[in-house]
Amino acid sequence: MLEFDGNVMIYGLPLIGKTILARNIFLSKLKEGYGGVYITTNDTGEDVLDWFKDFDVNFKVIDCISKTIYPDSADTEFIKRVASPIDLTGISVWTSRFLDSYFRSGKRDVIILLDSLSTLLMYTNPQTVYRFLHVVTRRIRATKAKALYIVQKDMHEERTITTLKHMFDGVIEVKEESDKRFLRFISSTQKTDWIEFSIDGKTVVI
Amino acid sequence: MKLGLPIIDELIDVPAGKVVTYYVDPEVEGDVFLMQTTQKNVEDGYKCCFVTTSMSPMTVRNRFKEFGWDINVENFSILDAYSGIVGDISNEKYFVRDPSNVEELSDTVKMTIAENDLVAICSLSTMIDLCGEDVLEHFKEWCKLASLNDSVLVVQFIAWPYDEKIVEIVKDLSNAVITVGGIHHRVILGQYYGLLKVDWTDVKGKSVLFKLVKPGGVRAYIPKILVTGPYNAGKSTFVHAISERAISVDRLGTTVALDHGHVEYRGFSIDVFGTPGQERFDPILKVLGGEALGVILIVDSTKPESFPRAKKMLEETTRFGLPYVVAANKQDLPNALSPEEIRKRMNLPDDVPIIPTVANKGIGVYEVLDALIDLLMRWSYEH
Repeated sequence: MLEFDGNVMIYGLPLIGKTILARNIFLSKLKEGYGGVYITTNDTGEDVLDWFKDFDVNFKVIDCISKTIYPDSADTEFIKRVASPIDLTGISVWTSRFLDSYFRSGKRDVIILLDSLSTLLMYTNPQTVYRFLHVVTRRIRATKAKALYIVQKDMHEERTITTLKHMFDGVIEVKEESDKRFLRFISSTQKTDWIEFSIDGKTVVI
Repeated sequence: MKLGLPIIDELIDVPAGKVVTYYVDPEVEGDVFLMQTTQKNVEDGYKCCFVTTSMSPMTVRNRFKEFGWDINVENFSILDAYSGIVGDISNEKYFVRDPSNVEELSDTVKMTIAENDLVAICSLSTMIDLCGEDVLEHFKEWCKLASLNDSVLVVQFIAWPYDEKIVEIVKDLSNAVITVGGIHHRVILGQYYGLLKVDWTDVKGKSVLFKLVKPGGVRAYIPKILVTGPYNAGKSTFVHAISERAISVDRLGTTVALDHGHVEYRGFSIDVFGTPGQERFDPILKVLGGEALGVILIVDSTKPESFPRAKKMLEETTRFGLPYVVAANKQDLPNALSPEEIRKRMNLPDDVPIIPTVANKGIGVYEVLDALIDLLMRWSYEH
């Protein structure tokens, strides 16, 4: 799997496999012993845990969607639910808390996956999301954690994407050509060639 | 009225017509403060309205319930400025159909101010995010109306990195500002709230560390600072020098269990624990380090042979990433090494403060405490 540090955006058109790619990177780090925090804005916390159930890994979920559908949904040992995708403070608070609890338990390596930033941008204006990212990305850097943010191509204004790219340490671009999928990693220090990948069930094959 | 917060309630009463703002660090759970204030005044019989902008009314009710607060009473209502965002209808007494329409939002907030003793806005920052800076002009009107109507307006403002002028306007319009913050050091080591401004009475600012308890809400607690270092470096002397009251558990003149002192300093109420220096007590260090907020390492500047032991004690107590400062003690003795020489010999990073002290004469001890508090507060979202 790809090696990266800091805050990285996964960027590509819808239905191209960004979520599965992100989940595979997330999973590979969990298997290396990382602590994990999965922020979900599209699926319920239970759906996310269900996807990973065959892999024997533990991680925490910040569920931004359940309470908008079922206001009575309660937290569980692994799932904390914030009020809605608009509740950026709730997301920020629980991200910090989980980082803190991993840190205090002696686990210094943590990976965070925000699935997806595009949903937050649908609910809230870009300026507000930038302010949220300013706080969150700073915390990620301070704790030397790694974070992935999924962003849909052609869904946001070009200047929004440009601003987001400036806030992150790198971008994993995903594209499809002639029925084949490719990815490449771009950061200030490296730019890989386009690498072909395919998806077999839940697994990304590079 | 009272705000329902430990310590702050002993310092201030909120007269009718005033505006109180909770200025909240984005990484700290701040809505509980607003809820606790609302709950306190509902309980005291005041007519209260809770304005929600980022959670559904049912989620608001569940949040109150989580903390053990009963709001199913006649004198409590909700202004629902959330459901409209997600296209839901609302059964609440006050409802804003289009929360991004600043005029509709403002008119409804004004209605609540006119009809209630206390209006709690959760949050002003979400309103700014949704409607833009125009909200601030309306906020001015709400403040005036609260004053005319003898209502109290309590506002939550999340300290996202807004333009400085927005922050200043909010603070200037508020009669009292209470900061709710986190002590940041890689992760958040602790949370505090403090009185930053009150314009109707002369009261000294006070900061309190807190924990959230379910049920119960905001509970103040006293932070712990650990004083550690090798045998005979002067830990007990240091603890006694900075503390208003201190005790040591001694045998044959050296500490065999713990020193404990208490100091009120810079608005904080701090418990100071001195650890024993002997290696056989090292298991205690790990336990104490896990609960502490910061560490003061005392070294005997005349005994470089004790530095490896000092380094080991530091590693034991700071393994959770706690911030620390070093007191270079016994600086009045011949052959005392300078702080920079100690930094070199102990291979300490350049950003670790090393303060020269003579603990038995009280020299430099408060500078050490200052350095540690500054380090703890460095990452706070103060503006």
